[in-house]
Amino acid sequence: MAALYSATLLDHFRHPRNYGILPEPDISNEQYNPLCGDRIRIELKLDRSTVSAARFKGDGCAISTAAASLLTELLIGQNVADLSRISDAQLISALESNIQPARLQCALLPLHALREGIKNYAPDPS
Amino acid sequence: MEELFTDIEKLAQAEKRVAMATLVATRGTSPKREGAKMWVGEEGRIFGSVTIGGCVDARVIAESEQALSSSKSRLVEMRLGDEDAWEIGFSCAGDLDVLIEPVDVPNLIELYRTIRSAVDQGKRAVIATSLRDSSRKLLIVEGGDTSGSLGTPDLDRDAQIASLKLMKRRASGTISLGPDSTPVFFETHGPPPTLIVFGASHVAMPLVSLAHDLGLKTIVVDGRPRFATRERFPDVDQLLIGIPSEIAETLVYTSSTFVVLTAHDYKYDLPVLKVVLPARPAYVGLLGSKRRGKAIKEFLVEGGMDSELLDQLHVPTGLDIGADTASEIALSILAEAVAIKSGRSAAFLRETK
Repeated sequence: MAALYSATLLDHFRHPRNYGILPEPDISNEQYNPLCGDRIRIELKLDRSTVSAARFKGDGCAISTAAASLLTELLIGQNVADLSRISDAQLISALESNIQPARLQCALLPLHALREGIKNYAPDPS
Repeated sequence: MEELFTDIEKLAQAEKRVAMATLVATRGTSPKREGAKMWVGEEGRIFGSVTIGGCVDARVIAESEQALSSSKSRLVEMRLGDEDAWEIGFSCAGDLDVLIEPVDVPNLIELYRTIRSAVDQGKRAVIATSLRDSSRKLLIVEGGDTSGSLGTPDLDRDAQIASLKLMKRRASGTISLGPDSTPVFFETHGPPPTLIVFGASHVAMPLVSLAHDLGLKTIVVDGRPRFATRERFPDVDQLLIGIPSEIAETLVYTSSTFVVLTAHDYKYDLPVLKVVLPARPAYVGLLGSKRRGKAIKEFLVEGGMDSELLDQLHVPTGLDIGADTASEIALSILAEAVAIKSGRSAAFLRETK
């Protein structure tokens, strides 16, 4: 594993950041890979329109776990309107590893959850 | 356990007073284990059995009727000759002791409903009965709650200590306690044995079917709805789909719980083991080679897990029976799990004493 994956990826897999759940998150979505079984949930708490806290929970491979961990770090402090601008390439680049095409779905699973969560998010009109 | 409660509920409908016969000790081979019960009602109804044969049960029924007439408990010791023994399955000329107690059904119902309530909460419970005076009983519920008494605080304390071992083995039996060796029968109850399988793999399928045939409650957990289906697991009691380690946190683990990880995938094995091992179920088995098991253990220790917790982990899981097919692997896993729970060596019977 060490030869294929960067120190950054391995560190985030072994010591995931922002792992856990949020009480009453404003945005929450869970996605899974139907064949390999990775399952990741992303949760965000907003302060007005800014992400004040981000968490992920799930059982995933090294790539999907590290990607989820790195993604939560990217999200905190961002305006909710800007979250959809986070690209596939941006997250894959953050992993600092040569992700093979067959494993792209692992790396992008947390981003998929984020995008679905944003899609379903309806801001409180008050 | 379910059978016992069913019999008692039937009694509640039909009888006010019964003789409760309990198999409290066996010597030699026995068709039923200590704790087997038969009830003979004042109105003549018979529920349950302490053996599989006619002549012993017939004698128990006769003794029960006398106990009801005299309103006195009795301990009946049956020494079976070779001929009788062969007749009823005691082919090794076993002996057995049966305690027969006249009891009011409402009191019996109250006692067993208390036990059932504990069992439904995942706890074990033991009724300790003095065989010198069967009116002296101590109910011990896992966690420390007690009611009743065997007669002295010292006996009650000794009984609580003895009950812990029996609860762990989920076994009933007679043990002599105190300086004057008071024989005390311990009747142990606990949650039904449960098999929890993480990973709806092809090995999990025969594992669940076989466990179902053995009378275990079965639960299958996976993150993939396409694998965790009723079609693949027609006998399963519960199919749970979600984040496996998150589901693992919601399950109850007792001394009657077997956990087997069959995903053969570290993404499930690592987070689930972090939850399951500290809960100390009866058995934890992990599908995989010794090499894989070593790597998994090292990762968990690096993550802060106490290495003592890892001693529970059976990896590779199963007995060395030359298992090749999924069904054979399932058989080998369940055979090991039952042996561990029973505290047995899983050796060939002909080589055991």
